[in-house]
Amino acid sequence: MEQKLLLHAEKIDKRFGPTHAVNEVSLDFLEGEVHALIGENGSGKSTFTNMLTGILPIGSGTFTLMGHDVAPKNQVDANHQGIAIVVQETGTLGGLSVADNMFLGDEDQFIRRGIKDTAAMNRKAQELLDAYDLGYIKATSIIDNYDFEDRKLVEIVKSTWFDPAVLVIDETTTALSQKGRDKLFEVMDHVRELGHCVIFISHDMGEVLKMADRISILRDGDFVTTVNREDVDEDQLKTLMVGRQMDDHYYRTDYPDYAREQPGETAVSVRGVTVPGMIDDVSFDLHRGEILGIGGLSECGMHEVGKAIFGASYDRTGEVVLADGTKVKDINTAIDHSIAYASKDRDNESLLINDTIEDNIALPSMRDMGRVLSDKKLREFSDKYAVLMSTKMVSVNQYVSALSGGNKQKVVLARWLGKQSDILVLDSPTRGIDIKVKAAIYALLEQMRKENKAILIISEEIMELLGMCDRIFVMKDGKINGELTRSPELSEQDLISKMV
Amino acid sequence: MELIKRARQSQWYGVGLLLIVTALVWLVFKAMCPSTFGDPDQLLTYLQTGLIYAVGGCGLYFIVVMGLWDFSIGSVLVLSCLMAIGFSQSMGILGLIVAPILCGALLGAANGLAYIKLRIPSLIVTVGLSLIYESLSVFTSGWSGTRLGDAYKMFGSYPWNLILAVLAFALCTFILKYTKLGTYVNAIGANEATAKNMGVNVDKYKFLAFVLCSTFVGIMAILYIGYGTAQTPMTGMLSQSLNFKPLMGTFFGLAFKKYGHPVAAIVIGEFIISMMFAGFVALGMPVTINNVVTGATLLAIICITTKRVKGAVVK
Repeated sequence: MEQKLLLHAEKIDKRFGPTHAVNEVSLDFLEGEVHALIGENGSGKSTFTNMLTGILPIGSGTFTLMGHDVAPKNQVDANHQGIAIVVQETGTLGGLSVADNMFLGDEDQFIRRGIKDTAAMNRKAQELLDAYDLGYIKATSIIDNYDFEDRKLVEIVKSTWFDPAVLVIDETTTALSQKGRDKLFEVMDHVRELGHCVIFISHDMGEVLKMADRISILRDGDFVTTVNREDVDEDQLKTLMVGRQMDDHYYRTDYPDYAREQPGETAVSVRGVTVPGMIDDVSFDLHRGEILGIGGLSECGMHEVGKAIFGASYDRTGEVVLADGTKVKDINTAIDHSIAYASKDRDNESLLINDTIEDNIALPSMRDMGRVLSDKKLREFSDKYAVLMSTKMVSVNQYVSALSGGNKQKVVLARWLGKQSDILVLDSPTRGIDIKVKAAIYALLEQMRKENKAILIISEEIMELLGMCDRIFVMKDGKINGELTRSPELSEQDLISKMV
Repeated sequence: MELIKRARQSQWYGVGLLLIVTALVWLVFKAMCPSTFGDPDQLLTYLQTGLIYAVGGCGLYFIVVMGLWDFSIGSVLVLSCLMAIGFSQSMGILGLIVAPILCGALLGAANGLAYIKLRIPSLIVTVGLSLIYESLSVFTSGWSGTRLGDAYKMFGSYPWNLILAVLAFALCTFILKYTKLGTYVNAIGANEATAKNMGVNVDKYKFLAFVLCSTFVGIMAILYIGYGTAQTPMTGMLSQSLNFKPLMGTFFGLAFKKYGHPVAAIVIGEFIISMMFAGFVALGMPVTINNVVTGATLLAIICITTKRVKGAVVK
């Protein structure tokens, strides 16, 4: 029997500043199906479902549920229109009781003449918990008394007890033990049996293939394709999810013979570096005259490696040792020994966003400028490196907040150029940057490599790693899962197989 | 072990814990100065001052639980006391009760409006406005005088002080437990973005919280002026010193809210602090030791109630 259309998304679009998070995505969701939505981090899955469920306003486009346009103002409004979500993060609020959490924003059903009938609300909440076999969770208890899994189960009850027509499960399973997952899958099956639809977001391909009827893939905000579960296997899904068009005209074209060439002097030795919950026993050497890449899925721990080398990680164990034997334990030691670091979170961790270009570029170099700072000297210094980086600006007195993403990154790089740093740790150096600036940054990195500087690139962009790096470490679950050496034969698939 | 585990899960565990602390504090000071501290009459006196600050602490709870600050409550208190003095002369007992509460509510509305409309941190808004309220108190004192008439001092002693305070505590408990506002201030404090996603009109409830806060300070003013019987205007930020005692009770409420009875925690907390002040005085320590105790207790409570994350940016 042919399934009927339940929900249609027509050209759904969303931008966050220069980032095009969801690019005119059109999708159909059918009655009685579990429809998986997969893609890399940043592919737009959560943004898409957040718009459907009122967590984010819709940029443009239309959602049509059972023939009616829907544009929920918030999650409770979405619930009233038959759409619910179990979010990726904690969706319950501490300090409130279980019952308060379950009916937050929807208490009006228990309000009589302005007074909340707390007892009735507690009773109803407990009845629902009992019906889901979760009677051990007490509706009157403060939610903080329960662990993360139980709180997620409360969220599941909260989002499903009213039999929503569309239920979004956003990367929830990672928070659950097998028992919790079984409960969630039971609920998903129930929704499907009712002829409703589950939109299931998960990075676990096995789970996706087990639960989903159809699978849609998003990549960099674009819709890629929709496939039937029985037509694909795990490897095909991974390739669909991570694969990219080759576009390498601005990358390096040289392929040194690493078997013959001696690596340059070791600039940094990373020895058994561990940051609890993030990276585990990471060791490698970074040499002068090389670009070393670290890749992996966004949450694999690679971003913490950059912080650890720069002395910016808390609770770090293990050693970061420089060529002269100096152990880097804090940021000041790192800067004093010519290490530069550009964070992935450019606006919050790399830039003084509400300060001038001049201050941003000169900041780490001020320590070398004597005790009394000269305005003229500072301006000339900043101007020199801003111009060298072709930063588009009116003057160095301009605030960084007014610059585009690419020009902000140029300011970050100009800062470390000015500091004459020899070791560069660049986390996502071309994130959110257009092709022209990307090309300029790649050219600069290549020039620095030739100047015998040691460069570490941490990136989620596979092509960037393949195109620019001499060696690539692929990380998975906080550990190095493989090392690859630059060669024309090296493919995306080689990296993907070690990432996922 | 099982008994302790079950006790910890009880909603009255926090209150029980505070009562044990109360008994311990009493025992320590009683042992050190048996003749000058802790007799039943004296305990009633400690309770009397504790009650006054606890009412203010209840009001402040609505603000602090949302992660905001109201540093205008000292100046609101002064102005409300002067209103009580002035209007009791013309309207009698009705003026004594209604004028400070109304004054508090209006100043709270001004705080809330300024905070919502100006979109600047609550601490700055309320400190700025408190300077204005302090100036208003100078003008008001010219009209109202600074001494409460003898006929209107009933709220400075038992049983009327207790009756009014209990009514205030009951009102606070009711609002927290039986109205949407009570749920929403907690929700906004836990995660404002999520609360918004649940359809909570955050601005509206923040505004209402400011109104409630100062309304409770208005009630506190009735007790405060009844107990002290005179109030001079304060300028030059002097009123800020009146903020901290109610604030300490509020922190007790926050620390013990997870057990479900913040109002009881505020009241017991203020009683403990009041008892400690009296204990130090009984030990012959200079009055300035009060400031040391206030400061140290405030820091200790903040350390206990704040989830401090290593490496996090603290401003």
